Amino acid sequence: MRYFGQKFVQLLIVVVAVTFTVSLALAAVPNSKERILATKGGGAITQADRTAVLESLHLNDGVVQQYGYFVKDLVTVNWGTTFGGNQSIRTSIWDGLKVSLRLMIYAQLLALAIAIPVAIAAAYRQGGLFDRISTTMSFGFLATPNYILAPVLILLFSITWKFLPSQSTDAPFFDSPWQHFRNYVMPTVVLALPLAATYMRLLRADLVNTLQSDFITTARAKGLSTNRILYGHALRPSLFSLLTAAAVNVGALVGGSIVVETAFGLNGLGRKTVEGIFRNEFRLIQITVVVLALVYVLLNFFVDIAYSWLDPRVRAARTLS
Amino acid sequence: MQTTPSINTLLPAAAAKPKRFRKRGKVTKWLAITWLVLLTFTAVGASKVPWVYHDCSQFAVKKECSTHIKGSAFKSEKPPVWATFSESSKKLKGSPARAGFFGTDTNGFDIFSRAMFGARNSLLIGFLSILFGLLIGGAFGLAAGFYGGRVDKIIDTIMNVFLAFPALLLAIFIVGFFSDSSPEKAANRSIGPIILALVVLSIPPLTRLVRANTIVYAQREFVTAAHSIGAGNTRIIIKEILPNVMPAMLTFALTGMAVLIVAEGALAYLGLSVNAPSATWGSMIFAGQKKLENAWWISIMPAITMFLTVLSINLLGDVLSDRFRVREAIG
Repeated sequence: MRYFGQKFVQLLIVVVAVTFTVSLALAAVPNSKERILATKGGGAITQADRTAVLESLHLNDGVVQQYGYFVKDLVTVNWGTTFGGNQSIRTSIWDGLKVSLRLMIYAQLLALAIAIPVAIAAAYRQGGLFDRISTTMSFGFLATPNYILAPVLILLFSITWKFLPSQSTDAPFFDSPWQHFRNYVMPTVVLALPLAATYMRLLRADLVNTLQSDFITTARAKGLSTNRILYGHALRPSLFSLLTAAAVNVGALVGGSIVVETAFGLNGLGRKTVEGIFRNEFRLIQITVVVLALVYVLLNFFVDIAYSWLDPRVRAARTLS
Repeated sequence: MQTTPSINTLLPAAAAKPKRFRKRGKVTKWLAITWLVLLTFTAVGASKVPWVYHDCSQFAVKKECSTHIKGSAFKSEKPPVWATFSESSKKLKGSPARAGFFGTDTNGFDIFSRAMFGARNSLLIGFLSILFGLLIGGAFGLAAGFYGGRVDKIIDTIMNVFLAFPALLLAIFIVGFFSDSSPEKAANRSIGPIILALVVLSIPPLTRLVRANTIVYAQREFVTAAHSIGAGNTRIIIKEILPNVMPAMLTFALTGMAVLIVAEGALAYLGLSVNAPSATWGSMIFAGQKKLENAWWISIMPAITMFLTVLSINLLGDVLSDRFRVREAIG
């Protein structure tokens, strides 16, 4: 319980600091008022509208009041509308989040589906041919930024072989699963490959350790089949770092698929943020960044708590350090 | 990144690396070094070396400023000389069908030359960012590791705030908010906000690494000895601990530079880095992506350049960390 309390206090400090930084960032924008008004419609809008916009952002108040209003708006989901076009920020974020979440789930599943069998095969014969090939390949994928992988895949699959659309649209799954697959497969692969490389290295390192333990020798002595030993005995105790990394990546991917969304023209949260920057939509960006950061922080918090609950040794190690 | 300590710290250490890897590692190491030296040399001397085409400095904003290949300054996309399987979609009379190592882009500029001028930007931004990150993160890490207790807690909290944002999103946020990105002002965007964003990204992992290494040395006998002869804390940190932490710091800084070059590329790809006429690899890849159908080389060739560079830096980082026994996995 003490561990939980400590973590919770840390969480609160981080949440306050994050919201504070983001709420005050607006004041740091070079000539923000002019830019916001220009986006709102320049000279075309009435003086009353102008004051109303600036009033709603509380730019003239003190630092603490500004922060207070920001938190109040955030908590009451009074997120307002975009400056240009007057769309509701809440629907905009929700629409983007759906696409980003879908992409994240697909990418995680694919990455795990690749990483686990490959890591097991590599760790089983450590230093063997398969191990060396897969390690080299994972090294290559780690050195491939996703904005390099995306054009290469588009060149191969959309232009040379004409299988897949080069620009994806958010085709609903239930209308046509095949179209959905065609539109999502390339963004998913681009996100998943570097991820799979990371996961594979983590799991392989842990498996190599586990496979040297006594209980593996015992299992072998009992005459269990290799597959049974690898998947039944060795995999579970080796999953710790992998699952931690996967959980942390849930948050990182939702905000981190910006490049992939841009490359394939998917209207996810990341792409909307970048477009918002070009259109001076400061409010939209502030809210998006805060929402993503909070999701990320909370996820990490739950991961930490879950682990200390699953494995008391972690809790002990943390309290000592 | 703050993650739960993995269970394998409680298990016996991994067996020593098999020796088989060593010979192959040597060849790749030298290939990586050669590539990096050539690239740095060409990038630094881009306006002097004879195999990079240039009519004026890339920093001038003049329209006629170009990197045309001599004698083939026609405005069209031409495949690289070795790519006999590709044809230009626009054939022009009196000009060769293929030109340059890397081909030419839509304006007839030599992509190799542009990639080398781009390398200048990419490497400069990467180097400066990691340098500042090293200074700030190193100072934080040394303080946190040496003093421990409350200082350590405060610094840890600051780092947690930085890490609360997904990395690329934070960089975009900083660049977007601290530079005037409206289209009319974007042309003279400076590298200041970009470096600021990348420095912010690099501080937390560097702090964590330096802190972990400092803790190891802060308990050692020579530090106690220095204390007992009356050396001040600052002196101990700089003279006794820093030299020992240095190898790990520099090794990590090298791989960190690769990460930052990639991050800068991502910003450029999203249109948030320095603007034309100055190129960076990311912006070249993005510009070429719309033309993939007719002229694949415009984005693929800078992509290959970047890939090789990042791969080389990573390989070199691996070699160095084996050499100095840097065992701190970060990320």
